[in-house]
Amino acid sequence: MRGFDVVVIGGGLLGCFTARNLCRRRLHIALLEAREDVCTGVSRANTAIVYPGYDHKPGTLKAEMTVRANARFAELCAELDVPFSRCGSLMLSCGEKADAVLREKYNNGLSMAVPGLRLLSGEETRELEPSLTKSVTSALYAPTAGTVNPWELGIAASENAAANGAELLFNTRVLGIRKTAEGYRIETDQEVFACRAVVNCAGLYADKVQEMLFPSAVRIVPDGADYLILDRAADNKPTHIIQYEPEDGGKGFNAVPTVEGSLLLGPSERDNELDFAVSEKGLASVRERAAFVLPGLDLGAVIRSFAAVRPNPRREDGGSIGSFVIENPAPGFWSMIGIKTPGLTCADELGRFAAEKAAAFLNAGPNKRFDPRRSGIKKARGMSWEQRAAAIRSDPDYGEVVCCCEDITKAEVLEAIRRGATTLDAVKRRTGACMGRCQGSRCQQKLLALLARELGVPEDAVTKDGAGSEVLGGGRHAD
Amino acid sequence: MQTELLITGAGAAGIAAALSAWEAGCRDILLVDRREQPGGILPQCLHEGFGLASYGAELTGPDYTDRITERLAQTGVRLALGTEVLAVRGDKTAVLSDRSGLTELCFERLILAAGCRERSIGSLPVAGTRPAGIFTAGQAQEMMNLHGQDVGREVLILGSGDLGLIMARQLVLAGKHVIAVVEQAARHGGMARNYHRCIEAFRIPMIYRATVSALHGRSRLSGVTLRRLDSSAEEYIPCDTLVTALGLIPERELVRGLGDPDWLFLAGNCHRVHELVDSAVAEAEAIGARVGGELAV
Repeated sequence: MRGFDVVVIGGGLLGCFTARNLCRRRLHIALLEAREDVCTGVSRANTAIVYPGYDHKPGTLKAEMTVRANARFAELCAELDVPFSRCGSLMLSCGEKADAVLREKYNNGLSMAVPGLRLLSGEETRELEPSLTKSVTSALYAPTAGTVNPWELGIAASENAAANGAELLFNTRVLGIRKTAEGYRIETDQEVFACRAVVNCAGLYADKVQEMLFPSAVRIVPDGADYLILDRAADNKPTHIIQYEPEDGGKGFNAVPTVEGSLLLGPSERDNELDFAVSEKGLASVRERAAFVLPGLDLGAVIRSFAAVRPNPRREDGGSIGSFVIENPAPGFWSMIGIKTPGLTCADELGRFAAEKAAAFLNAGPNKRFDPRRSGIKKARGMSWEQRAAAIRSDPDYGEVVCCCEDITKAEVLEAIRRGATTLDAVKRRTGACMGRCQGSRCQQKLLALLARELGVPEDAVTKDGAGSEVLGGGRHAD
Repeated sequence: MQTELLITGAGAAGIAAALSAWEAGCRDILLVDRREQPGGILPQCLHEGFGLASYGAELTGPDYTDRITERLAQTGVRLALGTEVLAVRGDKTAVLSDRSGLTELCFERLILAAGCRERSIGSLPVAGTRPAGIFTAGQAQEMMNLHGQDVGREVLILGSGDLGLIMARQLVLAGKHVIAVVEQAARHGGMARNYHRCIEAFRIPMIYRATVSALHGRSRLSGVTLRRLDSSAEEYIPCDTLVTALGLIPERELVRGLGDPDWLFLAGNCHRVHELVDSAVAEAEAIGARVGGELAV
């Protein structure tokens, strides 16, 4: 039985950032992840927005954290070498009711000292974004809003945690937790761990993990949402994040110009479903909203649709919970249950919050050797020609383009595998290969061959995203 | 580095353009392709039916490739394989990348012969999961014929263009169960001869006026929902593999935004999708002859 000071359960954004921040203290840390990679659940699919912080009730933890996290975000991304685009956002209204909502958010933002907020007329809005609908009556402009690739951020945090000594254990599913005299005993499908403190970041399953030992006053009721991705070559893409606040009070709609250059549209609203299945109605509603908000947008340039699942926290009586829930049911045990929007924005803040609680409980001193910096995979795309020529001189694999849509070289793919990618999706998340307009029809075979060679396994053992998703031979076992 | 004529894509059209430009008198031609072998998609097309007009015979893709590469070897056309064209700029320069480094190339004329890409299922409003086991027809063809890979056992084919019909037959010949070819129109989208040789001859079921409306299976595909377009009736069809033939998109991304300069020519499938290699070749030869004549020494 291996012992740790702290065990973090779950390798989503929150788990990765909790582990990273625990490394700031002299602690022996393990992160347990049931799947084969980090960020495969809630963190895999979301709206990718770094929020400015005007949406939440002033004085709440959520509001304070969001404003602080936004202000620190560029620094965080610089430390972790993750692309961040502070492109600004325009929240649109097309009528009096939504105008009033925007004014309220504006005032909220002012009282939270959200920088640079401006209320714009419809005309001013279209000057900034000419492709918008002429129905815009006003907009709330937030220059500090931005976008980041969620899994890129999570992977960076996990790599930084590992470099600072945290042990990341994949394919390790927690089956049971027991209280011991020294702390906790965690049974998994791999081995048993002993630890003095636990931080439960199990995402969709955080309530169930807590209930392995304690009651939970919070239930997670997941709901799904659908998104579309438009090719970067699509005409009339906006340059700001567009958030549409519908007059009927329905769900908002976003168009996000991603750091990769594509355009993300969504989410849709639909029924509760605990899977990643896309809903046809949901897709239709996203297209309808997009066509209204951005009439000139080329919706023929859709290259992918996907579904996200969000962990809505509810009270036992079914009432929804607006704040971040961080439970502390017993000494040395914290649960982040039902952290949804703006969880991406606040990932490092929330991780720091939980880590500091655990460190204080364990009376752990600072780790003077903690290095917050991590270097990302050097991407050929975005290099100057001189830099790219130099990269090929030092590593000829930079001269070989594997994914021609996204301009990803063999060197990047090999580095992703060296850093721990074991599946096609893991390579895709780390490099961007297969994310472009052909969706991998031209490069997946090459990635498969490289994975098999580097991992020393037969090609038919290579999976899309873990056991059962073998790409060749029709799959090993039926679902 | 410089060249008078740059041709990007060493498939049937690119090679035909190079040959005819050479015959017209151009003596400075660089033919570039990202693949390690010439021929574009021809080497993966093991079926017969290529070159009836040019060679008076129904050749396989590899045989056809041999014929044209033999002719190419007798010219002074320079062939750069394993080379990616990263950029083409309005000042008639291009940036090439291979394992030896980057090359900035000045050219006088550019013939783009980059072929097509396949429309992927991502562009359709398909519900459900996003599991492994979904391949485009050309991708499945490449995996089977160039890499000896086994794509699946129980296969449904969506789309009845020529590539879909040809892959249906090939999968049957490889011992797979092809459940059906599903087509949204009321008739197949391929050439009559491919329909007779691939579908009728092998008694592969066709399902017309239908589409795949949802994918199932959390990890590997376990089935699809088939929707009849006329009645909206749906049924579940178990399968572990979906091969899509949803159409071809001319690949012109390299010259996007350059407008229509007088030095740029499109040849073959990147210009328009041709049913037959002979027709793509005829178009490319005409362009090659014209451009080659202008550059003749």
